[in-house]
Amino acid sequence: MSSFLQVLIDGILSGLLYALVAAGLSMIWGVMDVINFAHGEFLMVAMYVCYWLGFILGLDPLFTWIASGIFLFVMGALTYKFVIKHSLGKAAMAPLLATFGLSMLLKNFCMNRFSPNFRLLSGTMLDGKTFEIGGAIVSVPQLVTGIFALVILAALYWLIKKTRLGWAIQATAMDKEAAELMGIDTEKIYLLVFGIGGACVGVAGGLMTTYLAVHPEVGALFSLIAFVVVALGGFGSIPGALAAALLIGLVESFSGFYIAAVVKYVAVFAIYLIVILVRPKGLFGW
Amino acid sequence: MKKRAVTVAMSVFCAAFLATSAFAAEEIKIGALFPLTGPAAVSGQNCINSVLAAADFINEANPEINAPLAAGEGLLGGKYVIKIVQADHQGKPDVAKSEAERLYNQEKVFAIIGCYNSAATKPASAVAERAKKIFLCGCSSSAELTERGYKYFFRHAPTDAIESVEFVDYIDYLNKEKNAGIKTMGLIYENTEFGKHAAAEAKKAAAKINLEVVADVPFNNGATNLNSEVQKLKAANPDAVFGAALGGDYSLWVRTMKQLNWLPKIALNYCTGYQNPAVQKELADDGNFFMGGMGYSPELAAKFMPEAIKIQDKYYTPRSNQPFDSDSIQEAVMLMVLAQAIEKAGGPDTEKVLQVLKTEEFPSVMSLSGSVKFGEDGQNIKALSVITQLESQKYNTVFPLKYKDAEPTFPMTPWDKR
Repeated sequence: MSSFLQVLIDGILSGLLYALVAAGLSMIWGVMDVINFAHGEFLMVAMYVCYWLGFILGLDPLFTWIASGIFLFVMGALTYKFVIKHSLGKAAMAPLLATFGLSMLLKNFCMNRFSPNFRLLSGTMLDGKTFEIGGAIVSVPQLVTGIFALVILAALYWLIKKTRLGWAIQATAMDKEAAELMGIDTEKIYLLVFGIGGACVGVAGGLMTTYLAVHPEVGALFSLIAFVVVALGGFGSIPGALAAALLIGLVESFSGFYIAAVVKYVAVFAIYLIVILVRPKGLFGW
Repeated sequence: MKKRAVTVAMSVFCAAFLATSAFAAEEIKIGALFPLTGPAAVSGQNCINSVLAAADFINEANPEINAPLAAGEGLLGGKYVIKIVQADHQGKPDVAKSEAERLYNQEKVFAIIGCYNSAATKPASAVAERAKKIFLCGCSSSAELTERGYKYFFRHAPTDAIESVEFVDYIDYLNKEKNAGIKTMGLIYENTEFGKHAAAEAKKAAAKINLEVVADVPFNNGATNLNSEVQKLKAANPDAVFGAALGGDYSLWVRTMKQLNWLPKIALNYCTGYQNPAVQKELADDGNFFMGGMGYSPELAAKFMPEAIKIQDKYYTPRSNQPFDSDSIQEAVMLMVLAQAIEKAGGPDTEKVLQVLKTEEFPSVMSLSGSVKFGEDGQNIKALSVITQLESQKYNTVFPLKYKDAEPTFPMTPWDKR
């Protein structure tokens, strides 16, 4: 029984983390139809921000996620202003290739500046803390990340559904020209959406520094899983991202334990393929 | 007057240029193919630094070091110098193959040293075999690499087969002499050429002392988490675990075990993450009490390889800010051996050098056994490794007894009692 509970808890906590990583990607994709290939590298940059703040200034990632969130908000906005804006409306692949180029630039910059060595922040406030429920061990850093994920996703959902800004974002996503005719400054909306997308991954990366090592390749598999979450949940849908991420976390955890650890990603991508074939707009797509 | 001055200056310049050309040493290009980016980049960078350190040692005079090739500059009285051409395979076998082709065909390298990952070494060395060019492998440990009947492939490291037997011998010793009661084992390994072969050899060796395999857990390297993997080990609760994981995965594995509050009595690791000082530095005390096979550690070197320490301090540490590790030093050894073979062959003639490599024994101050001799299959028959246990960033040697310098902490101290 405790094994089952352990696997269940691991799956839910992994799923919540994936949801937080995917939320920003989902917004950008849903509103702008742009696939941000540099999403994983944004995550990696956020982790480095928190790592260096922790290493040099002794600040705990439990607080520095605010700094990484702000840093990535600015980085996201600048990415829109200097990269995406100039590639929109040109060749269909232009924004995708531009973000791919950005991902290479960021990864190699970090490789060059910080070396491929991976770095761990030890002695943080949550480091190694666990507690037991029914024989299953819950990792406190992962639990805190999960709670943050729920709060941030709820805030994003409220922003989009209940505020004028959110309605403007939705209007821009549905019909850019019509939104402009209604007086919405779609340029600002795009800038903001890219910023919010960056901030989400910034917070995720910051919190992950409490229990994962930082290195230039750390974002690779997370970004792949984020793409799967977004496509599975439906482009632009925050509840969809949460549901898909939980599904993926649970599939990964249960298949990894009850079938074989090595097939856990096979199971994840198989489910993704099935859902996309049956319902191409995802589970909760607009 | 002005014209004459210019003419004289030109003549002096030309004479000086011709004189330098006449005495300039010829370069022998050697390809160094390692994972400089990707999940194994930490180790790849160490390997490159190690090979570059060996090249500097060969190209410069080092009369204060008592090692072959130390006295003079370059090879054959300074006629040749070694030039390293770096290449990155990113840990990907297909990239390793194409980079090996580029190195031989476009860069015209005389030989290649590499590739750290067994999965990359396999296709890259197949390119060498087809091209009839020498391929030198320092630390890739998959036993299969020297079971292919290749003529141009040479490997320094002990294979997974050799290490597996050593691990099992140690467990047998602990059971008999220390009443350890180790009856079951679990395997956790990356699902690659290296990991799969290490696991296969471990199973073969375990059968000899009736060690029952109760968990067999391959994983995809670079995973976002290893929760299911460690959960599987914990559920089976083996007495011993044999691990084969690279840097980032090794660290994640150790931290996940801590998170799930589980440890076996003994954990033995094949090279890679365990041997990497950078990995252990980041793990700090969490890395304590794990064990693994080693061909080099600063502690071992201080006792048995003093000249290697001199080479390390003069050429390697200034490049990498750390001492040699057990993996990377073997790549340097292969360049030293190749250089000795070129000297003995009288120059960079592939077939002559090949003949020397196949027949001679090479003194090696950077090998624990003190020399290198290749068997028919290209495997170094003098390959030697010891089992160490990590404690406070120090690799204590615990087996074989001849090299032992500390009592092992056994069983491993539980996480909550550290």
